[in-house]
Amino acid sequence: MKEVPAKVEYNKQWVVIKLGIGEDRLVLPAPVNKEILFKTVLDVAERKNVLIITAKTDTEAVYKILSVEKVLAILKKMILASCNAYRLMAYFMSPAIKGGVMVKEAQWEKGSVVVVNSGIWFVSPIKQVCVPVTDVASIELTKREVQGKPTEVVKIDHLENGEVVSSLVLCPLSTLQVLYNFLKETTKGMDMKGTELDGVDQQVAMLIYSGMDSHAIENMLNIPHKQLDAIYDKILKLGLAEVVIIRREVQLTTKGVRYISDATKSQTN
Amino acid sequence: MGKILIVDDTLFMRTLLKNILFSGGHTIAGEAGDGEEAVAKYKELKPDLVTMDVVMPKMNGIEALKGIKALDPAARVVMCTAVGQEQMVKLAIKSGAKGYIVKPFQAPKVLEEVKNVLAS
Repeated sequence: MKEVPAKVEYNKQWVVIKLGIGEDRLVLPAPVNKEILFKTVLDVAERKNVLIITAKTDTEAVYKILSVEKVLAILKKMILASCNAYRLMAYFMSPAIKGGVMVKEAQWEKGSVVVVNSGIWFVSPIKQVCVPVTDVASIELTKREVQGKPTEVVKIDHLENGEVVSSLVLCPLSTLQVLYNFLKETTKGMDMKGTELDGVDQQVAMLIYSGMDSHAIENMLNIPHKQLDAIYDKILKLGLAEVVIIRREVQLTTKGVRYISDATKSQTN
Repeated sequence: MGKILIVDDTLFMRTLLKNILFSGGHTIAGEAGDGEEAVAKYKELKPDLVTMDVVMPKMNGIEALKGIKALDPAARVVMCTAVGQEQMVKLAIKSGAKGYIVKPFQAPKVLEEVKNVLAS
């Protein structure tokens, strides 16, 4: 058993431990005194450099482990290879498209796709990428040219630090269909009819996606402020967007007008 | 910063690209609504870069790209494809496109791609 330095959350505090890594388990020594068998792990998620592991023996427990990237990479690889999850061997490309721009150095990587409760992991000998289910924007069974032939792939659009990123998964068609159905089922809470927004609403949504602010949207679509506000309300109500900033429009008081008049005079004198 | 010709058959996409490129400090050399107009405007305006939609009436983006390349083999053209048309990318690259973006796109990424292509 190898031991690596790490911190583990225990009684809402981070404690320094020598984390034991065995072939089939993690050993968390005192004060935690727990062993986590990889096969009992139901979920693995990552937030910055914290690995969040949910395991179930008699009861379900969540463990948060903080360590350096190298240690976390080893942990992720070992846990994801043996945890209790839907797993398939596949080729993946992640990210393939970032913000609408194709990633030029993107390549197909041989590895596995591991679907756990909270997300999808792309795992190769050198990479472990997690896409939380809550960040999945869309899943599509589509075709891409692979080695000169149009080939069925699953395309997963997801958010990464506010940026829309697309990842592709390639495996035998029957497996791909299973993966697609599974992911569709997992993310079905986000499905919409597609008729909720009318033409102008959709244009507004597209402009928000492209990074335009309210002023730019009003100018581009030539719509008044009140109409844009009403569309924002609709989009917010549907859960398609969130408020990030509230701006104010003001007009000068008499005092303000006087101040500006005086300032202008002093500039021209 | 460059002088850019925007080619797209929809006014909405042209306006969006115009705003994005303008916010990035670029100058808009002109706009074209189809492939034929794109080739003519390229000849007339000699832009530093062209953003070219793929699916357009009269002459599509790939044909227009070939037309522009015939006029100026050093032309910098960034193709704009819709989701699901990415297979066109290979054809566009073969025909001399320097970059490609997939609709819908995000402003910072478009500016990054344009910057890279202008630097090439």
